[in-house]
Amino acid sequence: MQRPIIELRKLLDWFISFLILAGLLALFFQYRHHIARPPRLSVNVHNLPYYAFCSFYRMFVAYLISLVFAVSYGLGAAKSPMYERVMIPAIDIAQSVPVVGFFPAAIYFFVALTHGSRLGVEMAAIFLIFTSQAWNLALGVYEAAKTIPRDSIEALDAFGASRWLKLRRLLIPASVPKLVYNSILSWVAGWYFLIACEIITVGPAHYQLPGLGSFLMSAADKGRVGELIGGLATLLGVIVVMDICVWQPLSVWAEKFRYEFAATSEPMGSLWMAHVIGGLGLAFGHAIHGRLNPILRSLQGAWELRPALTPRGRVWLARAAGVVRLGLLVALLALFAYGAFAGIFALFHALARPWPAEAKLIPAATAASFLRLAIAYVISLAWTLPCALWAAESPRFNRVVAPFAEIAGSMPATALFPLIVVLVIEVTGGMNLASVLLILTGMQWYLLFNLLAGTRQVPADLKEAARSFGLTRFATWRKLTVPALLPSLITGSITAWGGGWNALILSEYFVYHDHTYQVLGLGALLDRATYATGNSVMILLSLLSMILAVMAINRLVWRRLYVFAMGRYKLDY
Amino acid sequence: MALLELKDVSKSFAHAKGNLRVLENISFTIEQGEFVALVGPSGCGKSTLLRIINGLMPPTSGQVLYQGRQVDGINLECALVFQSFALLPWLTVKANVELGLEARGMGPAEREKRAGVLIDKVGLDGFEEAYPRELSGGMKQRVGIARALAVEPKLLLMDEPFSALDALTAITLREELLDIWQAPDSPVHTIVMVTHMIEEAIELADRVVVMSPNPGRVVNDLKIDLPRPRDKRTEAFNALTDKVFSLIEERA
Repeated sequence: MQRPIIELRKLLDWFISFLILAGLLALFFQYRHHIARPPRLSVNVHNLPYYAFCSFYRMFVAYLISLVFAVSYGLGAAKSPMYERVMIPAIDIAQSVPVVGFFPAAIYFFVALTHGSRLGVEMAAIFLIFTSQAWNLALGVYEAAKTIPRDSIEALDAFGASRWLKLRRLLIPASVPKLVYNSILSWVAGWYFLIACEIITVGPAHYQLPGLGSFLMSAADKGRVGELIGGLATLLGVIVVMDICVWQPLSVWAEKFRYEFAATSEPMGSLWMAHVIGGLGLAFGHAIHGRLNPILRSLQGAWELRPALTPRGRVWLARAAGVVRLGLLVALLALFAYGAFAGIFALFHALARPWPAEAKLIPAATAASFLRLAIAYVISLAWTLPCALWAAESPRFNRVVAPFAEIAGSMPATALFPLIVVLVIEVTGGMNLASVLLILTGMQWYLLFNLLAGTRQVPADLKEAARSFGLTRFATWRKLTVPALLPSLITGSITAWGGGWNALILSEYFVYHDHTYQVLGLGALLDRATYATGNSVMILLSLLSMILAVMAINRLVWRRLYVFAMGRYKLDY
Repeated sequence: MALLELKDVSKSFAHAKGNLRVLENISFTIEQGEFVALVGPSGCGKSTLLRIINGLMPPTSGQVLYQGRQVDGINLECALVFQSFALLPWLTVKANVELGLEARGMGPAEREKRAGVLIDKVGLDGFEEAYPRELSGGMKQRVGIARALAVEPKLLLMDEPFSALDALTAITLREELLDIWQAPDSPVHTIVMVTHMIEEAIELADRVVVMSPNPGRVVNDLKIDLPRPRDKRTEAFNALTDKVFSLIEERA
């Protein structure tokens, strides 16, 4: 008898979060000013290193902000069930908003705030990159915090550890493995959508920043294949260097923070050269740490020597801290409430205006996009699953595939478009196939990542048991590997579909050589409304439809499958 | 005055289907210098009781009086040793042992000294920089014990400390625990140990509090008068084992 009521409450929570977020998105349309059109930047291949540097620093700053956000948001949600109810659905919804949906916020907040200056546009771009990176980082921290063994928490509580000590010694270290893994994914997503983040357009307002993204766009637009390849090669170079010098050593270091029952698995793929350079990196890190350590120790010693507060002083400090915390909370809540109500008001106000004729196309467009996503999904599954099964058999293959997948997943689909035009459209004459292929690039890698992570978690003793009982390879796959992979398959599918929906904005609408290529789809409607007509009602409607479609499918299909898979196929014994 | 006194302590947990009564009217006292064992099968709420004594959770009704005063929040004069060791995997043995001291705001130099002494005492000298994953189960629990003793608690609370170890290691650790406790310079004088192994309780404790499950109740409170070191093969030992066993059986 209790179940329906609980479901209703969850539905209500979700609906309220949705309303508030939709409102916030709509809010920024209100602040439309007449923004002067800035001069078009000239794009020059000689500046490629400079562009690479610009894009990298934007990604890096956005990543740092995402990290701070993720730790505070994730830990906050994990700590309090009350906040959790609102915060997790909110992130769920935010994940389903394609980066294009944040353009109005980016332009009408950051750019308008600084009156169209370059700094404002930079901040807008960094904000947009942040929206590709932050949500899954926050969810990673949240998941890690919730799976900390109760005993560790009790041990720290029993010793009377302060909140700060708990954070420093337990909560943050426990989040490190998930944080590193999700950071790699966040950067992949960031690179993939880089083009969209460096060229920000809403109707007549058009802003372009120097960087790899806009370089690739301009090269693609002008059909300069040589430049395009040069740009992609630079991007590839940056990603490979980052992988070798940053992600490999970090993944190795993150292993130190794993709890033992989580199967100790090899770090995510390591090329032999990565071992060398990773080792060098670690040695370098150690050397620096060695130099820093005495300084840190003396600083810490000086801190510990600070005059101890009298008990009364301590009470006063605690009280003052409490007041400040309360004040901040009240201010934040007030701001949030203002934003929420203003947003909802703006939402209804915006939707009250006459709907454009195009709006009739939305249901059909949604169905068409869904169909394309389904086809791309089946294709992805068809090749990633055998790949994962092979990786389960051969650890060497596993080690090679993972970084390759990571690099391939970072290649922006938009940059590949000219090649696709030449190969596919000229041959078959249809944009539909091209757009399915483009959607594939935004979907398949997530599926592969998750499946590969899943193969690493199949316990060795189960594999040995299968072998000792003489199971054939095919039987082992059927009885052991595929069932064991089911939870990862489902989480991978959820992420892949999320990536797919987001990739629609890059796959269904493209302007190339002054010719507009588009298909009937939700991404195309949204893009056309954003880049061409600038009709705010249309933008809002397509955005909201996309959010609703993603959420509906998530809830009705994926969550149920996930619960089923975890119930029956989870590896814990 | 008794070090610890429990008066009619009861604990219920709210459940989807109603209230689950875990402990009912638990009353006993613990004097300074005693080694008390709480014995009972699973489901009698022994671990919950330990956490209530420590202050990690409040009783639903009843009182927990520590040195005559009501316990409110964590009692920092107790220290807990866990069945699962509860070590932080990313800290070295030394850092793990220092954890309780760090929580109390002790300076790094002093922490290091104190931790060093205790790591020595539990026989892990040389393993200060090792990580928990490099240690065997017995060594990990030694770290857990060192960590608890480092804060020099007045009351040491142990939750099935040797249940997760193999029988041979457990034998060694029990002897070491007794050695530490009986030494003149011992950091702790009063121990409460929860266990489901009757023989372990009789081998170690001065008093055995027998509990029955569903809900947890105190069935009996036996004094163990045998001189230490205790021999499992004597008649007196076996008689006591049988007695405790029958006490649990008849309430089962």
